[in-house]
Amino acid sequence: MLETLFLMGQGFINALSPMNLLFAAAGTAIGIVIGCLPGLSAAMGVALLLPMTFTMAPETGLIVLGAIYCGAIFGGSISAILIHTPGTPASAATAIEGYQLTLRGKAGKALAVACFSSFCGGLLSCISLYFFAPLLAQLAMKFGSPEYFWLSVFGLTIIAGVSSKSMVKGLMSGAFGLLLSTIGMDPIEGAKRFMFGQASLYEGINTTCALIGLFSMSQVLILAETKIKERAKAAKFTDKIALTGSEIKRLTPTILRSWVIGNLIGILPGAGASIACFMGYNAARQFSKHKEEFGHGSIEGVAGPEAANNAVTGGSLIPMLTLGIPGESVTAVLMGGLIIQGLQPGPELFTRYAPMTYTFFAGFVLVQFFMLGIGLLGCRGFAQISRLSDAILIPSVAVLCVVGSFAIHKNFTDVVIMMIFGIIGYMVRKFGLNPAAIVLALILGPIGEKGLRRSLVLSGGSPAILFSTPVCWVLIGLCVFGILSPIFMNRVEQKSLEQAGGGDIVAPMED
Amino acid sequence: MKKTDIGVVGFMYGVCILFFVLSLDLKPEAQTYPRFIMAVLVALTTLYVIQMIFAARRYGVTSGMEEIFAGFLPKQFFCILAMIIVYLILMYLVGFYISTVLLMVGCLLFLRVPKWQIIVSTLAIIGLIYGAFTLFLGVKLPVGLLFK
Repeated sequence: MLETLFLMGQGFINALSPMNLLFAAAGTAIGIVIGCLPGLSAAMGVALLLPMTFTMAPETGLIVLGAIYCGAIFGGSISAILIHTPGTPASAATAIEGYQLTLRGKAGKALAVACFSSFCGGLLSCISLYFFAPLLAQLAMKFGSPEYFWLSVFGLTIIAGVSSKSMVKGLMSGAFGLLLSTIGMDPIEGAKRFMFGQASLYEGINTTCALIGLFSMSQVLILAETKIKERAKAAKFTDKIALTGSEIKRLTPTILRSWVIGNLIGILPGAGASIACFMGYNAARQFSKHKEEFGHGSIEGVAGPEAANNAVTGGSLIPMLTLGIPGESVTAVLMGGLIIQGLQPGPELFTRYAPMTYTFFAGFVLVQFFMLGIGLLGCRGFAQISRLSDAILIPSVAVLCVVGSFAIHKNFTDVVIMMIFGIIGYMVRKFGLNPAAIVLALILGPIGEKGLRRSLVLSGGSPAILFSTPVCWVLIGLCVFGILSPIFMNRVEQKSLEQAGGGDIVAPMED
Repeated sequence: MKKTDIGVVGFMYGVCILFFVLSLDLKPEAQTYPRFIMAVLVALTTLYVIQMIFAARRYGVTSGMEEIFAGFLPKQFFCILAMIIVYLILMYLVGFYISTVLLMVGCLLFLRVPKWQIIVSTLAIIGLIYGAFTLFLGVKLPVGLLFK
């Protein structure tokens, strides 16, 4: 206990270094810009800026990525409120009441509520991050090779079901990614596999290049295929971006409820901020003492989804950091960032690398304060940025994809791999397959393969070892849950969407 | 059932066949795991084929192309894709910065962006990359074969 408190304190001291503060602020601002642009998503932003964190200390790099994540989730609300177009799907529910407030000349109030609720939701989610993450990590310490095999299978079953309309297609995407993960050196025999004569594929497909291609370059192609739309002009507002004491008092129960919802959704694999925002909105409407305001511009209707979607951020980091199981696309990309820094998600992050992990946690707390400050002060400026045309985004993002993938090993092959994955990502998204499942399979594939083959070596080839411990059976049960949970989650999302009446709001893209 | 799904299924079977043929050259010990994954992918694809057959019987067969490519502008899409591929080739020949300026200006002119926005966007991207990658990260960006 004392040791944990010491680590927490040490984490804050490290996170408060000028360099970390500067990068946290910059990351938050970049995240907000990415979030408020309807053509870009949080996962894409994190993937695009991943290479910029290579030369940073691991904790600083993670703080930057966390800041972009939080900033982007909040940033989506700016365009949702001002131009009725959510910057990210996580803000789709915010547009319902937020835009109504804008029409009533209260855009400043709506932005202040969004900013304050996002801050509270994010900050409260840090509590569960501090509390649950070490507990889960202790459990993971008992894992051996068979358990790691099942854990990777569990991770795949979860992500394969997310974002795909068809579960079988999601699982096919995962299996396709697993096959791609076999490219490179065999981890046990040392034999070269499927390298197509390319020495640069010796260590397998570079995950970062694949991430940039699948999430960012594919988005360039998606934007390029249709007519460039003129964005609506952001509403000009003259009211103050501030909240009164009585308004804060009124919003507190809504924020607390949404925190619980968002956190649970975040921890639950397979669910993300886009589900949490509608659940937060519904809960706010259900328990509100001013139900008549809903549909005409309710501040609780803005606070509910915004607190919920930001509460997801801390919660979703828990399974990713402790078990290596990212529950959604953004955490899958963040996990890629962690691995690139030479760190393996799991118990080691809370033992050997505990100072780094707690510095990241402290940085994550500070990011929430930056989000509040930058959000409140820069709302008017970000509102103008949200009008940036897709025509400008197309070549700009393409250039950033190229330079980002080149910067990894400073070789041109990585750029070609990124481009190939960009085209694969485009086709995959067009034909209803799941890019997040492919990325996760590329990350989890080698872990699962090592776990399986080491287990079989230990048992002399008998697969019985994979069913030999109670933890294995628990994980098998979770795999079954992982396969079935998307069916349940889809129903919850559909029901929340219908109840919120948000079907007319066009979510710009998947998370 | 959508006809476009036949393409998805064909692609998955094709990938499995390609990897299976390539796996024939591997040592027997190194063959097992990739072949296990191939078997899983074939099984899932076959399951999807069965679902497609049931869907075809129940709801009939639709093209799917109109839904997937609604609003698709082939000229715009393929021109931009070609520009990006030419950009990569040019980057190899004349270096990063020159090719980036050409891509930005070419692409923005093609998309009919006002001239002042072209200048500002190009300068902003070049400035951002120079500051972040060349100065901050110290990445030596390609100078191109012509300038080596």
